This record gives sequence, structure tokens and C-alpha cells, in this order.
Amino acid sequence: MSKNKKRLSLVLTSMMALSLALTACGGGSTNNENASGNGGKSEKPVELIWYTIGPPQKDMNMVVDEVNKYIQPKINATLKMNMIDFGDYTQKMQVKVASGEPMDIMFTSSWAFDYVQNARKGAFMELDDLLEKYGKGIKDTIDPAFLEGSKVDGHNYAVPANKELPAQEVWRFNKDLVDKYKLNIDKVDSLESLEPLLKTIKENEPNITPYAMIKDYMPVLPFDYIIEKMPMAVYMDTKDYKVVNILETPELKKSLETVRKYYKAGYISPEVATTTSVDDLYKSSNWFMDRATSQPMADNLWSASYGYPVVSKPASKPYIYNWSVMGSMQAISANSPNPEKAMEFLNLLNTDPVLRNMIDSGIEGVHYEKVGENRMKNLPESKNYDMPTFSLGNIMLNYLNEEDPDDKWEIFKKFNASGVNAPLLGFNFDTSKVSSEIAAVQNVKEEFWAPLMTGTVDPDEYLAKANQKFKAAGLDKIIAEAQSQIDAWKAANNK
Amino acid sequence: MRMAREFFGNINKNKVMLFMVLPGTLWFLFFSYLPMLGTVIAFKEYRFSRDGFWASIVNSKWVGLDNFKFLFTTNDAYIITRNTLLYNAAFIIVGLVLSVLMAVVLSEIVNKKLAKFYQTGMFLPYFLSWVVVGYFAFSFLSSERGMLNQIMGFFGAESVQWYSEKKYWPLILILVYLWKAVGYNSVVYLAAIMGIDKSLYEAAMIDGASKLQQIRSITLPLLRPILTIMTLLAVGKIFYADFGLFYQVPRNSGTLYSVTNVIDTYVYQGLKSTGEIGMSTAAGLYQSLVGFTLVMFSNYIVRKYDKDSALF
Repeated sequence: MSKNKKRLSLVLTSMMALSLALTACGGGSTNNENASGNGGKSEKPVELIWYTIGPPQKDMNMVVDEVNKYIQPKINATLKMNMIDFGDYTQKMQVKVASGEPMDIMFTSSWAFDYVQNARKGAFMELDDLLEKYGKGIKDTIDPAFLEGSKVDGHNYAVPANKELPAQEVWRFNKDLVDKYKLNIDKVDSLESLEPLLKTIKENEPNITPYAMIKDYMPVLPFDYIIEKMPMAVYMDTKDYKVVNILETPELKKSLETVRKYYKAGYISPEVATTTSVDDLYKSSNWFMDRATSQPMADNLWSASYGYPVVSKPASKPYIYNWSVMGSMQAISANSPNPEKAMEFLNLLNTDPVLRNMIDSGIEGVHYEKVGENRMKNLPESKNYDMPTFSLGNIMLNYLNEEDPDDKWEIFKKFNASGVNAPLLGFNFDTSKVSSEIAAVQNVKEEFWAPLMTGTVDPDEYLAKANQKFKAAGLDKIIAEAQSQIDAWKAANNK
Repeated sequence: MRMAREFFGNINKNKVMLFMVLPGTLWFLFFSYLPMLGTVIAFKEYRFSRDGFWASIVNSKWVGLDNFKFLFTTNDAYIITRNTLLYNAAFIIVGLVLSVLMAVVLSEIVNKKLAKFYQTGMFLPYFLSWVVVGYFAFSFLSSERGMLNQIMGFFGAESVQWYSEKKYWPLILILVYLWKAVGYNSVVYLAAIMGIDKSLYEAAMIDGASKLQQIRSITLPLLRPILTIMTLLAVGKIFYADFGLFYQVPRNSGTLYSVTNVIDTYVYQGLKSTGEIGMSTAAGLYQSLVGFTLVMFSNYIVRKYDKDSALF
């Protein structure tokens, strides 16, 4: 090898060795100034850049053109809509926001592109004044519990969608099988009470998975969690707001023993701890029961989407949790050059049925046709514009589908009124003081959570092991921090 | 003045060569050197600023070494470091032996068409994504419908829950890695073998050397420089685990963590939900520093024994 070649390889190697895994910073600096944006003063319409969740749609540009024709005379702004699919949304948005990419409005929630964390990191603009000035309609139409429940440290950072407020867990059953074996599901009221049903199916239907479960499964327990799927919570009926380690509670132990029994009896797939989706079971109808989060008239929805009847039984009371209140929101970016226009647009989106339905269902006569005053029917073209309804603001403005009952939104409102506030509603844990512990605890959780919760491992042995490892990773420190924040919050809110 | 003239004279003399390295230089400048400035994020609590990325970096609070803490808070630090190092060491050693063996065998096949066919066949897995490879492995190892369990059942053996039995995984991971990587790596050695002067072999044959003697005394010694360089380069990456291999192939099964968790998966698990850029940068910096030290150290050793094979 010649000397020159060697030098070159020296340079190359040292570069390789030093090149850093800067996952999120490839973009470099971006210019924030929006070419067309110039406050509200200019005659030129402002272009609002909107990022929202869901698979990109073929007819998006066509619909957005129509939307722009409609909103420009009203608020002198036009829309540029971008969609990012469900699975990619969190990561892509984290990179876009961290690198300061220009945007005005973005989807955020408790389950995708985390609202509380990003609000605290400064990704969103504080909306208190904007709501007062430009968002009157929002304040008047949506259930006040949404705005109240989505405050972070006393301020609103996003506009929640008006939809179902509480979350209710249900057991779902494949109705054909229930009828075939004349099973009585009215008596089902706990995980334990399911045993005779599962047993019948297991014995008579060898090709059916009795309990369709995925690795994220969690038993229904009387807890309100401080962070979802982390073993610290307060009891639902707590008076003193004491944070408990749920791994040390008798409720969890009993549930795990039952699940373990079901797993050993073959009611649950042996591969459940690595199963991320059971869509194949739903499609082939090779399942008997599972658990899901419900909303009013959900049985109809499920039956329609699977193509065979599904029935459900409540597994918990409807509780209003932080995560259910923050299930779907639109925030204004901290670097938006036109926050006022963005708020005017959100206000219109949440109050104007024409705009709301256009964004949701597309163009009348192309994607849908009206079959009544506020009732519509999808046309075949709607497959090219099929948006996730819940993510786009006030769903109660939407036209009803043909099969919906007249009082659909009344039923929603009743359901919302029936919700019971979970004890930690309104409390948001600030993790910045314990972030290294959280990162370490996350790893312990990934190691033990799914095998334990799905019954893949013996709780007698692994519960103690997991608890020990959680503690070694700093769980107690996180609990202590959470307790002190809750105590302060409790005192401030007279709980 | 004279120096400047010499400098420009040099550039002028080598302009063709310099032009050839220009694209590579630019690539490294933009994708390796420029991002290096971002290393400061490892020492900051990164918070967004409304004036963009640079302002965010400048305005974020300095936190010293806090971002490195999560890597070392638990005894997982030992497990992930051990797994990363041992697996990579196994990949380097076994991979090297097998790749060279394959290259030698391929070079000795007389029917060149057949040799090309084998080569392509071995080469192909390299182009598959780890997600696809993960499903290949799953079709063998699934406990309900996997091929392996069905074959074992046919012979009357009891079926195994592959995704919750730790003891098999070191072997499975190494096998899957070799299946995917050996074909590609052997091409490098094959190219080097093709470059060896044929007259050496002719001379050896006249002297009555057997095939094995030729391989031992001609092929392997002449391959030594490239072997050393490839190994040194691999050692520099010994602290980077192949994320796809360790995440996709074991299907992120919690029960296997003590033998499948490596630095890259640990960082991913810990930070995917919190999105703390400072901490992931800290982890990347730590890996780079260890890799850099290891390259310097092993090169120093190589140079001591065989100056010509060393990188620098």
C-alpha cells in the first residue's frame, strides 16, 4: 500500500470514528420567515402551514384548493396541509420541531407527539390571550372540561377537539360465537368472570384465539397513572393522593395471577409478549373476545368495520383522564409568524360546519353527497380523501352518516356528562428533574412489562424481580418527585 | 510568498486527483464535520426556541455531564456494554474467518459462471432490510407456526418458545448476522485475491506446491494488509451495535433483554418517548469516543508489530 493511499485512509478512518450519531440534527439551520407571511396587515393572504396526523390523501390538493376559496374571503389566509402517517408522526414531528422547520398549526395529543412534554419544552405558543381575542367561538362551543383539563402549568397550549370526554374500557365479544354457544355475557363483570366463557371456546373451537391480546395489554385496575404504563399511580378513590408503586399492590398481583392462569390454559396466544397487532384475527374473525376503549355507539362502528357483529360489556366506569382529555388537539407552533391568523383558522374550524365537513369529508358532489339537512353519504371517490375525523377539531359539527341516529351528538353529550373525574385530572408531571431516572426506568419497563402483563412469565417469580430492578433504576426517586409535585398541586387546587 | 506559490503549485499539479476526492470531501464536511458542532447538545438541556435550531442550542441551559448519567445509573450499563462488545467481537472474528474462507473458495472454483452465481446468492441477503430479515427469522422461530418447531415436532421433540428462551439467542443472533454480512464482506477479499499476481501461483505450481500450500503461503500472506485494515475499521465501530439486528430480529421481546440489549437499543428504549435530544447526543458522543480510542490503540499495536499493515 502506498503512502498516499495510507494517508487518505487515515483521514477517512478518523472521520468515521468521529462522525457522531446526531440523529435529530441533520437539517442544520432553517430560515423561519414565511415568504408570504407578513402579519395580518398585508393585503396578501397569509399562508398557514398545517401538520396533522394520518395517512397522506390522494385528493388532498384538490380539497385544499376548495378550502382556500372558502376561507380566504373570511380570514384572508390560505392553508397548506401536510399529513404524516400515524406510525411516523411522533418521530418526524420531533425532528421537524427540534430543527425549527416553519409551521403554524400542528396536531398533538397524549398518544402521538406528546402534548405536555412538548409544551414544556417550548414547542407550542401559549394560547391564553389568543383564545380570548380570536378564539371566542372555540370557548363557546366546546365542553369547558376540555380547555380546563388540557392546561399545562395553568396555561392552554392547544385547542382540544370537542369529542367524547371520558374513556371507558369494555370487553368486546365476537357475537357469532356468543350466539353459537349461547354464552351469557351479562354476568361478565371482571377478568375472573370470563373464565367459563373462555373455557367453552377453547374446548370447542381449536382454531379460534379465545382472548385476542397484544403486548401492550394492561389489566383494568383502579388506578390513575402518573405516566401511562409506568408502575406509579394513585388509587381512583384516593383521598390523600398518595402515590403507590402498583407492583406492590394486591390488585395487580391478583390480576397477573389470573392472566397467567389464562396464558397457561392456552386462552391467550403463546406469542402475545411480542405481538404488536391482532388485525389478522379481526379480519378472519378468528377471535372470541378482547378489551378495548369505547365511545358511544362503538359496537356499530366495530361491527361495520369488521363486517360481522361485535358486542361489548363495560369493564370500567367512564373516567375522565388527562390522556382522554388530551386525546386530540391542534396547537400553534412557537415559531409561527402568524399566530393570530392560525387562531382565527382554528376558531373557524371548530365552529363552521361547512369548513369542518369540507376538511373532514372532502368536496360535496365529489367525495360525498348530502342526503338530508345534516346527513351525508360517502361516494366511491371518498377513498381518495378519507381523513381521521377525530383529529380535525370539533366532531359534533360533522354531518351524520346514513345509519347514525338523529340524536348522535346528544348521546355523546350525555356520555360526556356521565364521566367521573379521575383524581389526577389536571395534574401534569414535570419530569425534567428525573429525566435520567425515567430513561433508565423505561428500559426496565420494556424488559418486564409485556411478559408480566400478558402472563408469559410467572408473576410469583418475576413480579419481585421487576420491582427490584425498577427500584435499582430509580423508581423510588421518581415516585418521591411525583409525590412532592402532587402535594403542591393539591394544595394549590384545594383538592 | 514562496510557500503560497508552492501550495498553489501543488494544487495545480494534483488538480485531477483533488477533483476526484472533492465529492467525498464535501460529503464528509457536511455530514460528518458540520454535525460535530452539535456535540455541544450533549452538555445541554435542549429546549426549543422560537428563533430556530441555532437559537435553541444557544439558549438551552448547560447541564455538565447530567445527560450521560442515564447510561450508567443501573447495572444495565454493564450488560449493554458487555453485549455490545462481545457480539461485535464475535462478528469481527467469525465474520473475518468465514468471509476469507468464502473468498478463497470462490476464487478457486474453476467454473467462473458457477462462481458468479454463488457469489450473487451470498451477496443478496446484504440488501434485505432488517425488518424483512426479522420476519424471515420469525417464520423459522414462531412457536405456533414456525418451521423449526414443526420440524422438531415431526421428530418428536418438544416445541420451544424461542422468543422467551434466552440461552439460544447469542447463537441465533450470530448466525443471522453472518448469513446477512458474510457474502458482502467476502467480495472485498475476493477482489484482493483477484489482484494477486498470477505468476506467483505458476511458480509455486512448478515447484510442486499443492493447493493448500499455495493458499497458505501465497494467498493469505498477501491478504494480510487488507485483513488488518478491514479489522481495524471494524474495531472502530465496536461500540456501535447494529440496531436492526438487535431490535427487529428478537422482536423486542422483554424476556430476552439480558442477551439482546445493546447500547443502541437501550438508548432507543430510554428516549423514544421522552425525546430528550441532549441524552441521545450524549450516548452518540460516548460511543464515538470509545470507538476513537479503540482505533488509536489497536493501530498502535499493529504498527508496533507490522508497520506496513497499520492504517497510519
